[in-house]
Amino acid sequence: MIDFLTRILRARASSRGWNWFQAACRRTDIPVDLNWLLGNYAGASLRLGKRALNLEPEETRRWNSLSPDLPLDHWGLDELGRAILLLRIAHLPPDEYSETVLECYRQGDSREQQSWLRGINLLPQRSRFLDAAVDACRTNIVPLLEAIACENPYPAAHFPELNFNQMVLKSLFNGIRMDRILGLESRFNPELSRMADDYASEREAAGRDVPPDIWWVVAPRIAPERIGRIYPYLQQGNSRHRYWAARALGYARDERSRAQLEQRRTVESDDRVLAAIDASLAKMVQ
Amino acid sequence: MKIFDPHIHMTSRTTDDYSAMAQNGILVIVEPSFWLGQPRTNVGSFIDYFNSLLGWERFRASQFGIRHFCTIGLNPKEANNPRLAEEVLSLLPRYLQKDGVVAVGEIGYDDQTDAEERIFARQLELAMEMDLPVLVHTPHRDKKRGTIRSLDLIRSVGFPEERALIDHNTEETLPLVLDTGCWAGHTIYPHTKMDEVRMVKLVKEYGSERILINSAADWGISDPLKVPKTTDLMLESGITLQTIRTIVWDNPAHFFSQSRRLDLAGIDTRPSIDQTEFYGGSTVLRGGQTPVVET
Repeated sequence: MIDFLTRILRARASSRGWNWFQAACRRTDIPVDLNWLLGNYAGASLRLGKRALNLEPEETRRWNSLSPDLPLDHWGLDELGRAILLLRIAHLPPDEYSETVLECYRQGDSREQQSWLRGINLLPQRSRFLDAAVDACRTNIVPLLEAIACENPYPAAHFPELNFNQMVLKSLFNGIRMDRILGLESRFNPELSRMADDYASEREAAGRDVPPDIWWVVAPRIAPERIGRIYPYLQQGNSRHRYWAARALGYARDERSRAQLEQRRTVESDDRVLAAIDASLAKMVQ
Repeated sequence: MKIFDPHIHMTSRTTDDYSAMAQNGILVIVEPSFWLGQPRTNVGSFIDYFNSLLGWERFRASQFGIRHFCTIGLNPKEANNPRLAEEVLSLLPRYLQKDGVVAVGEIGYDDQTDAEERIFARQLELAMEMDLPVLVHTPHRDKKRGTIRSLDLIRSVGFPEERALIDHNTEETLPLVLDTGCWAGHTIYPHTKMDEVRMVKLVKEYGSERILINSAADWGISDPLKVPKTTDLMLESGITLQTIRTIVWDNPAHFFSQSRRLDLAGIDTRPSIDQTEFYGGSTVLRGGQTPVVET
């Protein structure tokens, strides 16, 4: 894996950037000097730039065969360089290794921390980084929250339920689309549905708009008697509300919800919403 | 009208804000200690922060004729860092005995973790030992549940409800708080939490008993004049002067006077300004500015 990632970096780095990176890599042999590592970890943005990797189709195929769950396309060159540096010090004894990796997070600026939160998916012993990843969700810096919550398989794979639910709620708060949270469906739980339902009620009581895709999180494990609260959104003027309400009702199994979808189907004019209604009706049959 | 803003984070604001606040009738403020937008990595950062609330910030306020009090505590977000949390808790007894500290706060829940609950409970107990009221932050996420849990915890540790101010209420949480003996704060923000129009509706429905409003102005999008602006809208909406006075002056003054470190008679008039004063060698003036001196 490390060879493949290094080739991707080499194909994109400037010659000066590549020379710098090779020197930085030589510094990851034993003994690892923490100050040098922290300096190189910081310097990656300056030396390699932040351009997105944008993998070629062949590279994407190869990467998916190595690591099917981890999207890489949106990573910057600097972020890939940082991840490789951390992979290259994996020869350290386990405790020293995880402490060193954590130091890169603790002393990192916002961009370094974002790189770190993406990069830990590649590292050995990655469950050791759980506390830092959970702590990152307490940030007020939205790009940092996005680095852990979006296009990142780590939370679904490692977060305890409470922390996962809080991350989803915070994403809703910050207007982050739910389909950016990898593995969300695999982590649906009644408490999350209840929390999202309460959040929607709070917004409604305040006379404020609710995020359209909230129903996708509310519906899967909502108490059956509450499913009807989604119906009015099937009639909303905004088609995004109708689309997500239609998708969410695919989780319902009752006749009333089916009737609501069928009734909407007769008057709906938006193709995307119609497709969502059909998909949900088909799901109900199963 | 005299105004008391019971929750505002002045360390994040400018001297222009202080001038505007004074011009709009704000006489007294309480600045709760809180989270700085990113996590602190060692206990020394807390020592410096608490000292600045008690020192430089109070001096800055005084230069504009505003009385500044503060609350000291460990905020819920940083309660999740176990090592740091213990170190900060051990500092609290000495800081809570300092002049002008009128409550333990902001304490409460954020993610509603077990660690937050433990630290919240310990600070409630500490407040009882120190004979201080508490300022309770309610969480942004899962707010209703978090408010219910806060009220339950206050009851289960036997904390006197009339000495607890539950903050950042909404339409859904206000009735829950009023059902107890606790006081209910409302943060008037430009976009979130609560706005002026919604607040007027709440006052029309629930009146003024145990109800407070604040700006919670900090480093985020916020407005240090939200209390006077809400006061204006309440007046225009036909709410009586007496009701408004209760909300923006009497209630915060009575609540924090329970600390016995805020003298009700003493805060009633604006202190005179003397901008020739220095604090630790520093002044709010810059070269060439004429100091305001009132006699």
